[in-house]
Amino acid sequence: MPFAPVLHAELIKIRSLRSLVGSLAAIVLVTAAFSALASASPEENDPDPLFSAFFGIGFGQIAAIAFGTTAVAAEFRGGALRLTLTATPDRPRWFAAKVVAIALPVLVVGLLTGAVTLLVGKAVLGAAGPTWPQGLRGAVGCDLQLTLMALFAAGLTAVLRSGVATLSVLIPFLLTVSFVIGDMSSGIADFLPDRAGQVALHSAWDGPLGPWSGLAVCALWAAAALLAGAWSVSRRDA
Amino acid sequence: MTSIDVRDLTKEYGARRAVDGLSFSVRPGRVTGFLGPNGAGKSTTMRLVLGLDRPTSGTATIGGRAYAALREPLRRVGALLEAGAAHRSRTARDHLRALAASNRVPGARVDAVLERTGLAEVARRRVGTYSLGMRQRLGIAAALLGDPEVILLDEPANGLDPEGIVWIRTLLRGLAADGRTVLVSSHLMNETASFADHLVVLGRGRLLADTSVRQFIDARVQPEVRVRSADAGVLGELLARHGHDAVRHADGAWTVRHARAEQLGHLLAREGVPVLELAYREGTLEQAYLDLTAAEAEFSTQPQEV
Repeated sequence: MPFAPVLHAELIKIRSLRSLVGSLAAIVLVTAAFSALASASPEENDPDPLFSAFFGIGFGQIAAIAFGTTAVAAEFRGGALRLTLTATPDRPRWFAAKVVAIALPVLVVGLLTGAVTLLVGKAVLGAAGPTWPQGLRGAVGCDLQLTLMALFAAGLTAVLRSGVATLSVLIPFLLTVSFVIGDMSSGIADFLPDRAGQVALHSAWDGPLGPWSGLAVCALWAAAALLAGAWSVSRRDA
Repeated sequence: MTSIDVRDLTKEYGARRAVDGLSFSVRPGRVTGFLGPNGAGKSTTMRLVLGLDRPTSGTATIGGRAYAALREPLRRVGALLEAGAAHRSRTARDHLRALAASNRVPGARVDAVLERTGLAEVARRRVGTYSLGMRQRLGIAAALLGDPEVILLDEPANGLDPEGIVWIRTLLRGLAADGRTVLVSSHLMNETASFADHLVVLGRGRLLADTSVRQFIDARVQPEVRVRSADAGVLGELLARHGHDAVRHADGAWTVRHARAEQLGHLLAREGVPVLELAYREGTLEQAYLDLTAAEAEFSTQPQEV
């Protein structure tokens, strides 16, 4: 079977669910709003100008995760996957189409989020804000980070076959683990997907990962989750 | 035309054999009823035919090819497995549009099947607002979407109102008359008798019968004649004298087994016995089915839904 019709079908599925469109809108709104709030009341001691502008990504990525999770979880309800796979029996191809259909809208919305957040951050922070080269790197990093987190969640959902299970693993993980060890620059934590990716949103870094190597680590996490998801979808009875 | 061929099909879930060495064919041009109590393996067999589950051994093919090898399968095979397959927050139209897009089925087919299943007016409503019967119709619409020559429907009459039952009966007869291959599972006997030409009966994952509906009934249920006269006693003696196997009812009527109405009518006229009632009663699919399953010792020991 050719790929384009399967991708078309998956894009229709995403466009036709309000909750998914809502999650995409929430990525922009939540990221920009929390960033603006953080910028308006900056930390006292030597704030990182770029991360002050992009502080809201910690919340925006939850919307991105919700998007990736919901898009895949919808297939695991009420026998939906069986109907999908009767239409597209080539399971790896179907899963690839699903992944692209998730990545494309998040890439577009993520870029918009990066741009809006940067503009708002620069406006609020003024002279304390990031420079343009830093800011552009941040905007692109923000876009990629959101996309990778959505894909990471999508892969995990395909393995766990449940949106509730995925969100109850990921949300506490992101909210507690990352926040609790957030200030400690301990070795292992730097390689967790969200921490690694967010190096790209800092003006300066002192850990083992730089902005691009950090995003690469995050991409490895997403790729591992997606491969596990593809394997799970292909091997198990539907 | 295209047949469904199941050969030595076995599916084990852990230690349990859901399908056990099953072989049968579903031929085009007729409706094949797929019968058996819940848990007999009907749905599992359908999932195996559709390549959704992996058989432990054996094969299931459509037109000689495995389902997964079909190019744009919705154009060849349509299936209804679960009425809940459509997302509750999506409209029926969007649900079908996505399915159609995946197999490059023209968009006009979406409106055609919505029309055919009586959902055209509610097509832009979200599926969550639908009754079970409407969701069932949407599942049937999805099965018909690609104008397929092979159609598998799992319990399509579930949740349909009486009007819907008549509708699906006509639909199934029409699909078979077009020369399509139609396999319809059910646990409702009288319903199945009203649309099926042929039967495949399962019990505990094994094949119990693969025969025409007529033969299935005739082989298991003797036709009977019900006869009533003014004097039940006289009638009883007469029947006994002529060697008929007759049972008396509380209302004074007799049921005569292994007899034909013409035969008894002539006899009673000759003997001058006034006849108040004389009726030939054919065996029903339900009787034949119960006879078959009672013969299966395994089944007779446990309650089952029929």
